[in-house]
Amino acid sequence: MLEFNATFFAQLFHFVVLLVLLRIFVYKPVLNIIEERRKLVADNIASAEQQRAEAEKLKAEYEAEMQKAREEARNIIDRATKAAEEQAQEIIEQAKAEALRQKEAALSDIQREKDKAIAELRDQVASLAVLVARKVTRDGLTVEAHDRLVQDAVKEVGQLQ
Amino acid sequence: MAAEEHAAESMGMIEKVHHNLNIWHIPQEPWHLGSIGGFPIDLNPSTIIFTWVAMGLVLLLGFFFVRGANVRQPTKMQTMFEMVLDFLRGLVDDNMDKKKGDEIFSLVITFFLFITMCNIVGLVPSMMAPTADVQTTAAFAVITFVMMFYMGIKHKGGKYFAHYLKPYPFFLPITILEDLAKPVTLAFRLFGNMKGKEIMIYALLALITGIPWACGGFTASVVWLGFGLFVSFIQAFIFTMLTIAYIGMACADDH
Repeated sequence: MLEFNATFFAQLFHFVVLLVLLRIFVYKPVLNIIEERRKLVADNIASAEQQRAEAEKLKAEYEAEMQKAREEARNIIDRATKAAEEQAQEIIEQAKAEALRQKEAALSDIQREKDKAIAELRDQVASLAVLVARKVTRDGLTVEAHDRLVQDAVKEVGQLQ
Repeated sequence: MAAEEHAAESMGMIEKVHHNLNIWHIPQEPWHLGSIGGFPIDLNPSTIIFTWVAMGLVLLLGFFFVRGANVRQPTKMQTMFEMVLDFLRGLVDDNMDKKKGDEIFSLVITFFLFITMCNIVGLVPSMMAPTADVQTTAAFAVITFVMMFYMGIKHKGGKYFAHYLKPYPFFLPITILEDLAKPVTLAFRLFGNMKGKEIMIYALLALITGIPWACGGFTASVVWLGFGLFVSFIQAFIFTMLTIAYIGMACADDH
């Protein structure tokens, strides 16, 4: 069971042959592939990190710009609101002034028409009085009737005031 | 008396099974291939033949590992092989620095693949594990032994031999014995395990074919083959691991 012969050397030889063959045909390609993959992964990680840094820079820039834009928008809205309020105030005041003016014009119109009407009435009363006087002088009139006539006319005119 | 007869009978039975299983008609006597300088060239036929079988299988396996291998989409075989490589690389890196590890890594993978394959070849009844021949395991152990010195002297120069005188010079005989014990234990551990496994396979087969009343023989044989597979991997792993550890110790930097 424990006899040694040349098999020992044959096995040494076999092992060395196998080692050389495997080294050439198996280990080299596979280890190269593993090494390449390690490099690939490292490259990917490096580029991913770089891209991430760039993305964060961009994000910060965009956020700053966004902030600026938001502030500008707020300013614009504020200004617009203020202008609108001022305009509204102006319109209201104009409207009030216009109303006042129209009211005064109307009042003055009324006054004028009234004056005109009174003047016309006076003229008519006068002519009526003349007419009545002529009639009375032609037909004859008692004193009482004359008095009453005059009184009525005066009352009538007085009521017109 | 009865026990001796029984032993003789069962021994005869194992040998009979061994003989019957030799369906390849491999000669049991050594080949005599003449002699060189008075040293006879005798080879054990079954050891040599099944070593060739194991070598062929390892190379075939290597071919499948490499076939279609690429960087981005590894094949299943490639992935499996890379896992084995990663595992062994982890063991090597635990024991020495990367540069030294690169130097012995091919040796380590070859030890693991070849010894595993040799052990598994022996699981097939009618075939023999080349590692069940002490000459194979001794050859492997001598390679480890030589690599120990090679790596030690390469990385430490003459200072390598200083460790024989540590911690005290009078420990010299013990440290020399310690170093000599390494290859011997490596060789005999692997040999003993594989030979034992082989004898158990024959014995259990003998139970099936020879002794009808031991009807547990078949189950036991199947269980033993499963266990044998486990032992085959474990022994290959132990051999590889110890090789790494011995070489790592030999070329370790002094603290």
